[in-house]
Amino acid sequence: MRGKPPIFCRSIKERLDELNYKDELYTKRTDIGFPPEKKCASTARINRLEQTKKNKNDKSLEQLARKGILEIDLDKSKEDWLASLGPLHKKQIAEHYAIYEHLYGEGFFIPHLHLDIFYDLKDGNCLPVYYGNVIKPAEALESPIVSFESDGNTLWTLALTNLDGHLKENNKEYVHWLIANIPGNSIEKGDVIVDYLRPFPLKGTGYHRYAFVLYKQDKEISYDLPQITTSSPLEDRTFSTRDWYKMYQDNITPIGLAFYQTDWDATVKDFFHKTLNQKEPIYEYDFPAPYIKPQEWFPLREPFNLYMDKYRDPKQINKEYLLRKLKNEDPFKTPPPPLKFPNAQYLPRNMPSWLKLHEKKIRNHWGRVNDV
Amino acid sequence: MYIVQIKYIDTGYIPKLVRFNSSVSGVFVNRNPRNLERLRIARKPDGYHLEKPGRKFWHKLVLTPTNRTVKAEVIHFVNGPIIEAKTSELALRNQLYSITDTCAYKNLGKVFAQRCLECGIMEMYCDIEAVKGGKVEKFLNEVEKGGIKLQEMEVYKKPEPWDRFRPEKPWEVTEE
Repeated sequence: MRGKPPIFCRSIKERLDELNYKDELYTKRTDIGFPPEKKCASTARINRLEQTKKNKNDKSLEQLARKGILEIDLDKSKEDWLASLGPLHKKQIAEHYAIYEHLYGEGFFIPHLHLDIFYDLKDGNCLPVYYGNVIKPAEALESPIVSFESDGNTLWTLALTNLDGHLKENNKEYVHWLIANIPGNSIEKGDVIVDYLRPFPLKGTGYHRYAFVLYKQDKEISYDLPQITTSSPLEDRTFSTRDWYKMYQDNITPIGLAFYQTDWDATVKDFFHKTLNQKEPIYEYDFPAPYIKPQEWFPLREPFNLYMDKYRDPKQINKEYLLRKLKNEDPFKTPPPPLKFPNAQYLPRNMPSWLKLHEKKIRNHWGRVNDV
Repeated sequence: MYIVQIKYIDTGYIPKLVRFNSSVSGVFVNRNPRNLERLRIARKPDGYHLEKPGRKFWHKLVLTPTNRTVKAEVIHFVNGPIIEAKTSELALRNQLYSITDTCAYKNLGKVFAQRCLECGIMEMYCDIEAVKGGKVEKFLNEVEKGGIKLQEMEVYKKPEPWDRFRPEKPWEVTEE
C-alpha cells in the first residue's frame, strides 16, 4: 500500500488548511470606522410584529399572494435594506474584493453611510456605482455626481483611488479624485485637492478596482498634499491610502464606501496618446510553461516529427511555416480562394504517410499553422 | 488564501519596450483577487468529482429553505458566503404576506438577482434540481430574468503549439 492507511492519514482539506495557515498576527483586523448605531431590540421586535400583523390582516395583500402575483416595490425594499442589513452586506462584499486589505492593510470599517454615485452618460441615462459592478472607461470620462445624507454642519472628505493600476509599484495606488472639507453634501463647495482623472485600465491586465471612500471630519483640515490638476504628470498622483490615513486618523473616519471595476476599451489608447503623450503599454498574461519531458536517445512509440518538434526552437518552427505561407503569395495577384473540400485534394502517391498528415493539418488549419 | 499573484509579461521584447517607454515596468501585477476569475483563468477546485455536491465552482448559488424563512446565498469556494438575501429580513418581510409562500420565493429571486448584479457577480454555478412548477423553479426563473447566468464558464486553458485549435481568449472578446 502507498502511504499511510486511511485511518491515520490526513484528508486533503486538513492538508490544505495546514498549507494555507496564517498566523493571527497577519489575520487580525482592526475596526477603524464608527461603531454601529445602538438600536433598541425590544422596539424593533414590537415594530416587526406590528408590521407582520398588519400584513396578515391586509385582505388585498392576501388576495395578491394567493393568486401568486404579489410583487414587492424594489426601491422600497432597497431603502429598508440600506437602513438595516445593507452596511454589513457591503462590508462582506468589499472583503471579498479585498478592498479593505489593499486600502488600509489591517484596518476595516462598516460603511454606515450610503453613497449615491452616478456617472452621467449624457443620453439621459445614469450609471450608478455600487459595490463591484463593471463600468467601462468610456462611461467614466467625467466626474460623477455624488450625493449622501448629511446634516449641514459636518465636513467631509471624498477620495477616489485606483487600487490596481499603478504603472510602476504594485502596492501603490493612484489618486484620481480628492476633495476635502465638503460642507453638507455639496461636493462642488469643497476644496478640490486632486482633480478628477478618468480611469485607465491597461490593455491585457483585466479588471481594475476603483474605490470611492467618504471620510467624516471632526474639524476643518488642510491636508499636506500638493495641488494636482488635470495637467499634472501621472507620477504626482502616486498615493498610499494607508499612509495618508495614518497621518490624519485622529481627525477623519471612513464612513461611506462604493467601488467599481473597469477593464480596457479603446478610449484608454487615446488617453495615453493624447493626454499622457506616451506609448500605450500592452500586457499579456504569463502562463506557466508546459512540462516537456527530457529528450531520449531512442524514444519508442513516438511520431518522430512531432517528437522532434517539441525540442526545437518554436521560433524556428514558426519561421518555416511563415516561409511556406509567403512562398505562394504574390502581392500583385488576388489570393486564390480557400479550398472548398481540403481533405479531397490529391496528394502524391509516393508521399510518406506522416507528410500526408502534415499537409492535411495545414490544409485544415489545425495546430501550428495558427501560430504564424 | 486568495493572494493570487498574476504576472504579466509584456508582449514582444521587453528591452525594446523599456527603451521606448522607460516609465512603465515590464511586469505588471493586478492585485484584484476577482480579476482572474472574471478572465476565466483562475484555478477552480477540481478533483472532487466523486462527491455528490460538486465543488468545481468559483461562485455557487445555495438556497436554504427552513420552516420560518428562505435564504439565498452566493458561496465563494474560498471566502464562503459573500452575498445573501433572506425573506425574513426587513427589506422583504415588510411587503410580503407570508415569508415562505410562492410569492416570497419569486420576490426573493428578484431582490437576490439585483444584489448580485450590484456586486458585479453575473455568473454562478447552480446545482439545484427544481421540481417542475414548484417554488424553487419560480425562484430560479426570477433570478435568470434578473440577468444572472446560472452556469459558470470553463477555465480557459492556454493552447499549446501542438494543440489542434486556438480557442478565443476571453479577455480579447470585445463587445459590439
